Amino acid sequence: MTTATASDWRAKSANQTRLAFGQALLELGAREPRTVVLSADTQDLLGIRGYIERYADRFVEVGIAEQNLIGIASGLATTGLRPYACGYAPFITARSMEQVRNDVAYANQRVVIGAAASGISLGVAGGTHHALEDLALMRSFPNMTVIVPADVDEAYKATLATLDIDGPVYMRLGGRVEEPAVTDPAAPFKLGKAVQMRAGNDVAVIACGALVELAVRASEALEREGIKARVLNMHTIKPLDRDAILAAAAETRGIVTAEEHHLTGGLGGAVAELLAQERPTRMRMVGMPDAFAMVGPTVKLRAKYGMSAEGIAAACREVLRAR
Amino acid sequence: MNESREALLQRLQTQALQIRRNVWRAVRAGGSGHVGGSSSAADILAALYFYRMNLRPKEPKWPDRDRFVLSKGHANAALGPVLAQAGFIDDAIIDRFYGYESPFGMHPDIKLHGVEMCTGALGHGLAIAMGMALGARIQKQSFQTYVMIGDGELHEGSNWEAAMTAAHYRLANLTAIIDANKISQSGRVADIVGVEPLADKWRAFGWAVREIDGHDMGQIVDALDALPFDGERPSALIANTVKGKGVSFAENTYLWHSNNVNDEIYAKAMAELGAR
Repeated sequence: MTTATASDWRAKSANQTRLAFGQALLELGAREPRTVVLSADTQDLLGIRGYIERYADRFVEVGIAEQNLIGIASGLATTGLRPYACGYAPFITARSMEQVRNDVAYANQRVVIGAAASGISLGVAGGTHHALEDLALMRSFPNMTVIVPADVDEAYKATLATLDIDGPVYMRLGGRVEEPAVTDPAAPFKLGKAVQMRAGNDVAVIACGALVELAVRASEALEREGIKARVLNMHTIKPLDRDAILAAAAETRGIVTAEEHHLTGGLGGAVAELLAQERPTRMRMVGMPDAFAMVGPTVKLRAKYGMSAEGIAAACREVLRAR
Repeated sequence: MNESREALLQRLQTQALQIRRNVWRAVRAGGSGHVGGSSSAADILAALYFYRMNLRPKEPKWPDRDRFVLSKGHANAALGPVLAQAGFIDDAIIDRFYGYESPFGMHPDIKLHGVEMCTGALGHGLAIAMGMALGARIQKQSFQTYVMIGDGELHEGSNWEAAMTAAHYRLANLTAIIDANKISQSGRVADIVGVEPLADKWRAFGWAVREIDGHDMGQIVDALDALPFDGERPSALIANTVKGKGVSFAENTYLWHSNNVNDEIYAKAMAELGAR
């Protein structure tokens, strides 16, 4: 049974992955009667009021209490239900990290964590509300699947795809900032399989989340200079698509990673760990340097720290120049 | 066949004594262990597993089983023996405490039959148990959920998040048992950071509260029979207990929160527990 037409959920998602997640939950509520959605006073943040209206008996509000949220979700999962725990990325990971590690990852419970406002997507909120270490934390846990959708179509499809993931999932979502459409709406979501957005054999940009669209624009700009930059949308950080990365390393002259995350432990770290062992490759990493971000509008902040089409293009030129 | 109250209490006391002996047997096998908190919990565990709870040990994942979460996971030296005595696991596992690749370590392992959650990081169990109780409500199941928490464990703030939420949802199918043995790892709870008045705290958080002597089997059985204490609220059973109960030199001292156990100490303990 399908409850939402494509135009309906897409319009309600308003180019924000956090809202597409909420729209997909409405669909999951219809498809899977074991679906339960939990909120940590984040009903609008994740766009779940439509779900709550239709499935009030399969909704749990736990209040501003992320440790509680994750523990309850784990307990629900042990009874055979399929909990989707919604919260702010900075709090749902760091505050409740022990619950995520023990009650969800170690106990290997089927809990999907919907983490909105990741990275510096709430730029104006300041460092307390930025999540620039969440990928590092989440991908370090055995059993955990880590997904970073690039736009609303990918977020919607990836959320539906969690139906078939037998274990915990961390779904990294954006904040109150538009993420322009960049993925092919007709393409199915394949967990753990990178999507090639642009072909090229000079350099390869491996990006995730909002940085995918910026990487595509960087590749277009580089093409005008005669540089062919491959762009891979690495929407699954764990399990990592080793084959796509090793092929990019073999077929180009260098790798650039791009993510809205600290340069330690995120996508760049994951790619570097793989290449250092399997195929040492010249790399540059675009992301948040070792500093807490200042306050400001997200797009301006991203650019300040190099997370822009220009910043990615510059990293590509640099990796090609370096010897 | 109706068991008289006298016979019931006698049987449960014998089973609790057997749990205590098995606690010492496990920690001797491991070389050390959390004797104190395992022994304080033994009488309540006996009444839960051998009287109150609806279980099918040969069908550990039976969907309608009652749930028990040992939030004070360091009392696993008692939970393992309970599961063995109930028939969930082989008795020989008790001798593999702390062993290489053993499913019976310091803290409960969800992979072991009968263990509902891997606990031990304190302050986790109440929220998890609340999720189980909510799961029963959502799926219209009648099973009951019990969680045992230490009094020292109540220092962890996450307990109070869950306590507040369970009351908000009026989870009368949830019972929290506080094993109030008054002593934590470094000393008396009252000296570390006081948690009293416990009953008032739980009442203020919206729970129906009853306080008992956690070693008086008659009081334990009566309290379990009275559950839920209120049809509209979750129940908190505060059991006043003695850390290390049953062996004089281990009683009422933080030194036996966890301690080394060699053959000589083991023999002394077992002599006090009336084992030949």
